[in-house]
Amino acid sequence: MKEFGYSLSPSSRVDLDKIDKIKQERLFALEPGFRKCMACGSCSATCSAGNFTDVSLRRAIAYIQNGQDLAALSLLKHCMLCGKCLVICPRGINTRNLIMNVLKVYGEK
Amino acid sequence: MRERFLFGYDPFVLPFTLGMVFIVLYLLIGSVRIILALNKEERLLLLRSMNPKQLLITAKDVFVDCLLHIKVFKRNILLGYMHFSIAFGWFMIILVGHLEVILYTPQRNGVLYYPVFFRYFVMETQQTLRGAFFFFLMDLFLLMILSGVALAIFKRFRSMALGMRRTTKLKIGDRFVLYSLWAIFPLRLLAESFTANISGGSFLTKSINHLVHGFVTNPDNALPIWWSYSIALGVFLFTLPFSRYMHIPTEIILIFLRNAGIKSTSYRNGYAESEIYSCSRCGICIDACPMGVNRGDIKFSTVYTIRLLRRRENPHEGAEKCLMCNKCVEVCPVGINSTRLKLLYRQSVNDSGQHDFSYLSLLRESDSSGKVLYYAGCMTHLTPGIYRSLFNILDKAGVEYSFMDKDGSVCCGRPLMLSGDVKGAGELIKKNTELIKASGCKTLLLSCPICYKIFRDEYKLEGIEVIHHSVYINNLLKSGKIKVKRGTGKYVYHDPCELGRGAGIYEQPRELLSETGILMDSPEERGESICCGGSLGSLTMSCDKRRKITEHALDVLNTNKPDIVATACPLCMRTFSPLNKKSETADIAQIISRNLI
Amino acid sequence: MNKEVLVIGGGPAGIECANSLISLGYKVFIVEKCSEPGGHLRKWDRLFPYGVSASDTLDKLLQKSGKAIFFYDTEVQTINQVDEKFVITLSDDTQLHVSSIVVATGFTLFPAAKKEEYGYGIYNGVITNADLEDGFKTHKKELFKANRVGFVHCVGSRDEKVCNRHCSKVCCVTAVKQACEYKDLNPDAEVYCFYMDLRMFGRGYEDLYLKAQNKYGIRFIRGRVSEVAEDVNGCLVVKAEDTLTSRPLKVTLDLLVLMSGMSKNDDNDKIADMLGIKTEEDGFLSLPEPTLNNCQTVTDGVFLAGSVTGPKTLPETLNEARAAALSVHKYLSR
Repeated sequence: MKEFGYSLSPSSRVDLDKIDKIKQERLFALEPGFRKCMACGSCSATCSAGNFTDVSLRRAIAYIQNGQDLAALSLLKHCMLCGKCLVICPRGINTRNLIMNVLKVYGEK
Repeated sequence: MRERFLFGYDPFVLPFTLGMVFIVLYLLIGSVRIILALNKEERLLLLRSMNPKQLLITAKDVFVDCLLHIKVFKRNILLGYMHFSIAFGWFMIILVGHLEVILYTPQRNGVLYYPVFFRYFVMETQQTLRGAFFFFLMDLFLLMILSGVALAIFKRFRSMALGMRRTTKLKIGDRFVLYSLWAIFPLRLLAESFTANISGGSFLTKSINHLVHGFVTNPDNALPIWWSYSIALGVFLFTLPFSRYMHIPTEIILIFLRNAGIKSTSYRNGYAESEIYSCSRCGICIDACPMGVNRGDIKFSTVYTIRLLRRRENPHEGAEKCLMCNKCVEVCPVGINSTRLKLLYRQSVNDSGQHDFSYLSLLRESDSSGKVLYYAGCMTHLTPGIYRSLFNILDKAGVEYSFMDKDGSVCCGRPLMLSGDVKGAGELIKKNTELIKASGCKTLLLSCPICYKIFRDEYKLEGIEVIHHSVYINNLLKSGKIKVKRGTGKYVYHDPCELGRGAGIYEQPRELLSETGILMDSPEERGESICCGGSLGSLTMSCDKRRKITEHALDVLNTNKPDIVATACPLCMRTFSPLNKKSETADIAQIISRNLI
Repeated sequence: MNKEVLVIGGGPAGIECANSLISLGYKVFIVEKCSEPGGHLRKWDRLFPYGVSASDTLDKLLQKSGKAIFFYDTEVQTINQVDEKFVITLSDDTQLHVSSIVVATGFTLFPAAKKEEYGYGIYNGVITNADLEDGFKTHKKELFKANRVGFVHCVGSRDEKVCNRHCSKVCCVTAVKQACEYKDLNPDAEVYCFYMDLRMFGRGYEDLYLKAQNKYGIRFIRGRVSEVAEDVNGCLVVKAEDTLTSRPLKVTLDLLVLMSGMSKNDDNDKIADMLGIKTEEDGFLSLPEPTLNNCQTVTDGVFLAGSVTGPKTLPETLNEARAAALSVHKYLSR
């Protein structure tokens, strides 16, 4: 079919059917804490980099679960790996390992 | 003394001689490989170290470390004696053997096997005092070695008696070398004893000769024993490169390179290779490793990571799990900087370059000319008790200070460095350096040893004193700017890894605590302090496993029933505090602040 | 005959269990480590969700316990089983011979100072739910002058780092109750509740929540407080993330109330050891049949009641106390 000069703008709705589950499984294998998040927001609240810029592990985890990988990446690339979130996370998630592995698994070109 | 054989040769010397040629060639090729892998600067360093003074120092170090084994002695006297007796005794036997050749059969000087089998090739024509002296020396050192070998055999069955709880399992190559090593000296004793009536001997060889006189009337009967002795040596030398005992010759190369000021720049090649091959797999690091409380993690102790490196396998898990507490480096008898190797490995896989710290350029520093600039760092922000106590002390002492990262901070870069991202850490270092220099401060005060370590080692802050609060408070106390009341509180001090082993600060915190209460000993302290388990060094360790480590460290700290476990690190304190059921946990600043008068 | 029963713990569970046992004709000894009965209830002012007076409630419970023999400032030292009887030695060397034991030792309030980042014991403006309740009870006027007040839910609950993975169940509604009460005393105050999840599971709880929103205008922020600092004026600067808008947030407050959760009783291990029963990973005593029977233990003749087996509301505790009494009765008349 011939494409016209315009198209419908893509839906802003998250489509759970189209998520890359394999990557998620890989991430889970690398850091099992990935699934433990209860979205309390401690990590984002305490974040050293969060004082200056948009960093949020909580949001990144939610984005990944929704298949919005790029959004997740852009939220974590400012991370200084200082470890405050690791210390404070009430679920005991190894946040630094999670961040490093999100960058690895989803950052690959 | 004269030679028994015209040509001074017998086929039985072949196993030894070939083995010797093999190992010398092997070492030569290995050394060349290592030197080729060094970069230009390192080669220059090596060249520069070739001066008499430097060589003398190296010779001394080799003597102390490889022959006397002082470090092992410090660990355990029996274990030290075992190493010392075999290494030093063997060295002396070789030395005296050469002396004998030079003195009695100078025409054979330089024949590889001659000093080793000297007693087979000579016969004693008349007894002299000098001869008796040499014979005595040889027997004495042989006895010394034999006592060491006996201890070594005993240790195989009862390692606990020599202060080793856990050690590594022997692989097939190791067994060849070990058993041949055990066999060499008893065989030598027998061989020399069997020919002692011809070549002469001393208290040991002569006595045994008398005992078995009927058997050795015919000197041909002694030949099989000399064969066995030579074969044992041959097996030892041929299998050495395929065993952990390769550390014996490699350590000399390591000391040589280390004294030249070379450090590893790759986790596997060049200097690193000399370190890897110098690992004797003694397993002292297994008992030292805090991860050992989780039985399944023993396999990640340094010794196994180095073994993987030596086998050219991937050391990933161990290198990423390690807490980087440096205790294994502290106790390593060979002085292998394994933490650096792991860090270099991390750099090879984690220097992702995906980080973006451009936002840092927005930060501006306020003016703190001439003042003390306090940088809490990320961790101290989670322990307001520490910085409030510190401020209380500073106020009392009348020190003018400003709080650099009151509204949040740029991380010091150490955690990023530990993850292997040198480039990212460099950006943070650059920004912080700018901010600190622009502030005009004279002193940079830190309460977090993680920050302190990197500010001290990696930052270039000319003219600014970088100081940890435990040292700073101690200085205030010593100069009389603050006074504390002496109480009866019982303290035990936990050395944070980065402050103690990392920066060598052991005394000042202890001096401080003993000014205000009773300082008690902990069974494992100073260089042997156990990581609290909270370390940012480990990238992959789970929360549950960290907890086990913390509980173990606390058990050890609480051994002598202190009132307070004192520490000087916000992360150690946060890690200990919720799990310490037997005593209070407090930072050194909190303790001093409470006791100010 | 076999008519003596020992109840360990003189809180609501212990008292109500004794009451039921007395009405069934048993002779009851209550061992209480404090100098007064009532446990945590004694320290509370009003009870959720209806605002009933805690002291009235305790008085009503105690009215029926006249026949029970109380041992105050006393703890159980040893328990020996001889045939089917228990021989108990108390810390004052009294010996008791009983046929059955009910453990009603309750919980320990989480020590809020363990959460260093909240600064309890460091900042004057940081108090706990128990402190506030005491303030209500003793009319500490200065406590109610704060114009900006925050309540931090889940302090020492749902937190692996302090070894309390469990939800303490009652803090959410307690926080809402206290927030409303605070507004009653100081209508000008701005009140914030920082929560992770609001667990308003009981009858009347949701109504209280609605009232807090509607009538009192309490602001609920979904985010766990991460740090508390102090500004130059001595006010508290509280940091959290508003997870619903995904923005890190800070607010300056005068008073911060930490909702300390219910931790296992510190003596649980000792008690469990004496009675041959076990504790679970969370430190509370274990139940072999947690669904069918929440009083029973693996040791015959030993029963459990109240929050010794996990966080519970007061009505739940009282029900369990009666159930435990019935279990004792069934056991002794077998």
